Amino acid sequence: MFSNSKISNIIGKLKGIILENKLKIYLIILISAVIFPIITDNQYYIYIGVLTLMYMILASSLNIIVGYTYQYLIGFAGFFAIGAYTTAIITTSYEVNFIFVFLISGIIASIFALLLGIPTSRLGGIFFAFATLGFGEIIRLIIINWDTLTRGTFGIPGIPRPKLFNFIINTNTNFYYFALLILLVQLFISYRVINSRVGRAWLSLKENSEAAKAMGIKIAKYRVLNLMYGTFWAGMGGAFFAYFTQYVSPDTFVLDEGFRIFAMVLVGGMGTLIGPIAGSGLLTILPELVREFARYQLIIYGIAILLIIHYRPQGLFGAKELAQAKVEEKK
Amino acid sequence: MFWIRQIINGITQGSIYALMAIGYSLIFGKLLLVTFAFGEMVVFGVFVSYYLYAIAGLNLFLAVIIALPISWGLGMLVDKICYEKFRDEPRFLMLITTIGFGIFLKSFTQLIFGTGYRSYPNFIEGKIIVGGIRITYIQIFIILTTLLLLYGLNLFFKKTKLGVGIIALSNDLDAAKLVGINVNKSIKFGHSLGVVLGVFGGMMMVSYYNAIGASMGPILGLKAFTVVVFGGITSLPGAIIGGFTLGILENLSVATFGSGYKDIVAFVILILILVLRPSGLLGKKIDLF
Repeated sequence: MFSNSKISNIIGKLKGIILENKLKIYLIILISAVIFPIITDNQYYIYIGVLTLMYMILASSLNIIVGYTYQYLIGFAGFFAIGAYTTAIITTSYEVNFIFVFLISGIIASIFALLLGIPTSRLGGIFFAFATLGFGEIIRLIIINWDTLTRGTFGIPGIPRPKLFNFIINTNTNFYYFALLILLVQLFISYRVINSRVGRAWLSLKENSEAAKAMGIKIAKYRVLNLMYGTFWAGMGGAFFAYFTQYVSPDTFVLDEGFRIFAMVLVGGMGTLIGPIAGSGLLTILPELVREFARYQLIIYGIAILLIIHYRPQGLFGAKELAQAKVEEKK
Repeated sequence: MFWIRQIINGITQGSIYALMAIGYSLIFGKLLLVTFAFGEMVVFGVFVSYYLYAIAGLNLFLAVIIALPISWGLGMLVDKICYEKFRDEPRFLMLITTIGFGIFLKSFTQLIFGTGYRSYPNFIEGKIIVGGIRITYIQIFIILTTLLLLYGLNLFFKKTKLGVGIIALSNDLDAAKLVGINVNKSIKFGHSLGVVLGVFGGMMMVSYYNAIGASMGPILGLKAFTVVVFGGITSLPGAIIGGFTLGILENLSVATFGSGYKDIVAFVILILILVLRPSGLLGKKIDLF
């Protein structure tokens, strides 16, 4: 039998190994992600793989906002919806190259973020949370009621498959690699942004707003910029969703969808790039393994958030950042 | 005539919002407990009474009277899980714990009571016609009950030791400790009282509209929060004024634009008040972070 100290010893050693070989481990994960559709023929598994990647895109996008500036965006599903509907409306009426459709969807989501961000940039905590909850619900209400544009509760069917020259992206495997590509591009750009002057400004907002103010960083401007950058990827995620499922309806973009993604960010560990990836992977794949739990999914997500905050506030894979922020805010 | 009727509907709806908002203001403004799960707690409490009435077959008033202590217990549980450990921690942790609990409770409610809307009976049937204006008994019942409860709460906060203690600790925590107020007990009591007020407001609301659904929670929470911010988060009279304002504006907007956009009113008020006068109508200056 292992004693407690032995177990913690082993965990400590494992941690050491993981930290030393971080790059190798990321590489192994990436390679297994690339070969996954090759080694399995099961369409259902690949379909779950696509969904998982989509949630990774969405969670990474929310993480930029929640994790890097502590703006508790609750109505996240609203931006996801804006992206999906932009794609659905454009592609069912005009023939536009899908790359432009993706960019337009992201930009439209960003414009809405600007509109929301201007009045809410000075709000924090629960004030921001409730204001954005209202925003998300209103987007859904507008979708339901503006039926000349959105067909209301019927939704928009028949979104064409994306086409590049003569190649049509239509199988699950195609979409799998497409999503993987978007995710990698997103992570790369986010990495660059976070390590740029703008990203450092975001981090200084998060760590201590007073100090940031004293240093002359225009807090409101950087918060709005953060919101716009994060929601750009939410819009892209929405575009992907619309292309993949070929059908959008207001039922998809309920608050619960935002909560689901919020849980992924929090459980994985906010404020790190890898945390939300791990969180969305875990929270999408685990419920699929135990199908009987599907009905209890959100209940488990809620409990997971509570457990994380009680026992490991930085998240499963997060750095110690949240714990540090706690100490700093206490001072 | 049409507009007078709308105003009466608005006052009825406003009484309900006022009651919920007082519950919310007590928790958020007085006890400084950040809560995102308020609406979900209200819906759960109301569903308990529905269950006791429709499934267990109890008398409606008995069902209501049994559901209230259960809501009180829910308040205690939430304090235990979401607040007790985090009283001296930064407040955003309370925000996250209550978001987590809200997600849990909403899905839990959906799981045991179903996802659809249920019809909830009127407390009292019937109506009278005064000068050509139709007023239903339930409207009179709601307005009178709210006024009575407000009067009772006023007495509670002025005359009883617990009530005075809650006000005292919201004014100055350290001083309250010095004069021997049991802070932990007062917070627990105040939180549960806030939840029960919210649940009772919720019961009157679903009884007025005859419908309850498990997904109503977040929007109810948004409305209670809006009303509290409008009135000034620390001000109980402000919550009452805010409640009536939201109720009347909602009804006027439904009369003008139709019911599709009813829930937008609360959001617009919230954004306007946060931009123009973040301290609210009657509140002290507050920290929005």
